[in-house]
Amino acid sequence: MHVLIVEDEKKMAALVRKALEAEGFMVAVRMRGDDGLEAALATPFDCLVLDIMLPGRDGLSVLRQLRAQGNRTPVLLLSARGEVNERVAGLNAGAEDYLPKPFAIAELVARVRALGRRGVESKATILQVADLTLDTIAHQAQRGGKVFDLTAREFRLLEFLMRSGGQICGRMSIIEKVWDYHFDPGTNLVDVYVRRLREKIDDGFEPKLLETVRGVGYLLRDGP
Amino acid sequence: MTIRARLTIWFAAVFALSLLVMGVGTFIEISEQLRHAHHRSADERAVHETIEMIVEAGLPAVLLGLLGGWWLVRRALAPVADLTRAVENIHDRNLAERLPRSGNGDELDRLTDVFNGMTARLDGSFQHIREFTLHASHELKTPLTILRAELETALRDPQATAAQRERLASQIDEIERLAKIVDGLTLLTKADAGQIALKRDPVRLDELVCESAADAEILAQPQAIQVRLGPCDQATVAGDRHRLRQLLLDLADNAVKYNHRNGTVDFSLRREGALAVLKISNSGPGLSADQQGRVFERFFRGATAQGQPVEGCGLGLSIAQWIVLAHGGNIEFSSQPNALTTVTVRLPLAQQSPQLGQPPSAFSV
Repeated sequence: MHVLIVEDEKKMAALVRKALEAEGFMVAVRMRGDDGLEAALATPFDCLVLDIMLPGRDGLSVLRQLRAQGNRTPVLLLSARGEVNERVAGLNAGAEDYLPKPFAIAELVARVRALGRRGVESKATILQVADLTLDTIAHQAQRGGKVFDLTAREFRLLEFLMRSGGQICGRMSIIEKVWDYHFDPGTNLVDVYVRRLREKIDDGFEPKLLETVRGVGYLLRDGP
Repeated sequence: MTIRARLTIWFAAVFALSLLVMGVGTFIEISEQLRHAHHRSADERAVHETIEMIVEAGLPAVLLGLLGGWWLVRRALAPVADLTRAVENIHDRNLAERLPRSGNGDELDRLTDVFNGMTARLDGSFQHIREFTLHASHELKTPLTILRAELETALRDPQATAAQRERLASQIDEIERLAKIVDGLTLLTKADAGQIALKRDPVRLDELVCESAADAEILAQPQAIQVRLGPCDQATVAGDRHRLRQLLLDLADNAVKYNHRNGTVDFSLRREGALAVLKISNSGPGLSADQQGRVFERFFRGATAQGQPVEGCGLGLSIAQWIVLAHGGNIEFSSQPNALTTVTVRLPLAQQSPQLGQPPSAFSV
């Protein structure tokens, strides 16, 4: 997968590049908005990581120009502001996703990967991880013949973890996708819910599937 | 004593003095005339006639003069009264507005100019402070992200020992807390500057209250705190769903955090006239009377909270207060040490109109 990073902060760009390259992605970096636009129009990329505050041309303007020229490369916007209004403005300008700073690098990697996968996302209604299965139509989850009694929220959380296909789910993504909160709730809501879910799906079973990734989020491990 | 009253008294004194002069003059004139006419008791008649003239013509003239004076002074001072009212209405949020000038170049116009100049300078200072906070919080975020990323990378290093991992993870937690403080500050600064536009969609408050009570129940489990949802009347308010959820989660989180083991949290939502009244009560250490007045201050933390390992950024209730005020409501905090602490939120109900059935966009402003 080819990823273009447009970010003026050298260290930041280097860290993102390193993290994405560690995942086996091909990465190009541009420091200026106008250079970024040129690069994005010149070569096809699978994903574009675009900072909003940029010298030369700001990120939103780069994005609008890209879309105006018919370029459909999935874009992940990075912003230091993290205001709901800005998020909405970014998505309206044609971004696929938005990540407010400070974010976890693992979260960024997970989102870039998800954007690269876009379109081939599984529409399956029956999900399976190890011996754990979840039926989104019957609204039922079971493991080893035991059917779990899950609340609506726990069900959504489990579905999100399972659909992430063995990738780390950042706390920020979980908050966004499961709770639809676009702000940091400032509570340990996610951790407490995950703990409860873990008691249900992992207690009394081997292997343990729901793993905590310290400082980042959670992971439903598929296989050993 | 007001200037008007003082001027009126002086005016009355001057009038009385001139009346006296007029009386004496009249008396001399009349007694002269009578003496020329060889009248016998000239003095007696002069006194009599003078008094008669003073009472019949002088007193009405004085009364009229006083009334006129009172009216004149009032007229003259009206611009001062206007100016006072206008200056009274100045607060930190409308410093950009200017007092109207009468335009006739008098002393009051000059005073108005001076006032306007002063508020303009104040406005400038306030703007500077806000911009500074916004820039500072903006600038802090990139280094925070870099710091976080470095720690994360170190955390993934397979050679790190368990103790090192623990330290790194704890540092990441602190960075997250710092990020929350920065976010909260940014939000409040923007709110102060009136830069945040709230939506005005019909929102079913009762549904949000149920949802947040369910979240509180989960949050409360580790401490075995009992969460109860009391009466929950159906209530629709015109507001920003996202902010109202933030408000409820904030309050629910506080009610659980500032509680004790096996404590309770009670939610209730009632319709009272044109208001939706939400009450969230919790058991806990509570706050003393002098601390209660400060709970909405930024970075305020109760003494009891400081003594305990309670996490948070110290801005939750300030943000909650802003959300409530921005929705045209009010928020109250009442507490007694070691008894119930209750937060009461009153929000105006949405106007019951046929528009309510329409899609939310019809309500946006």
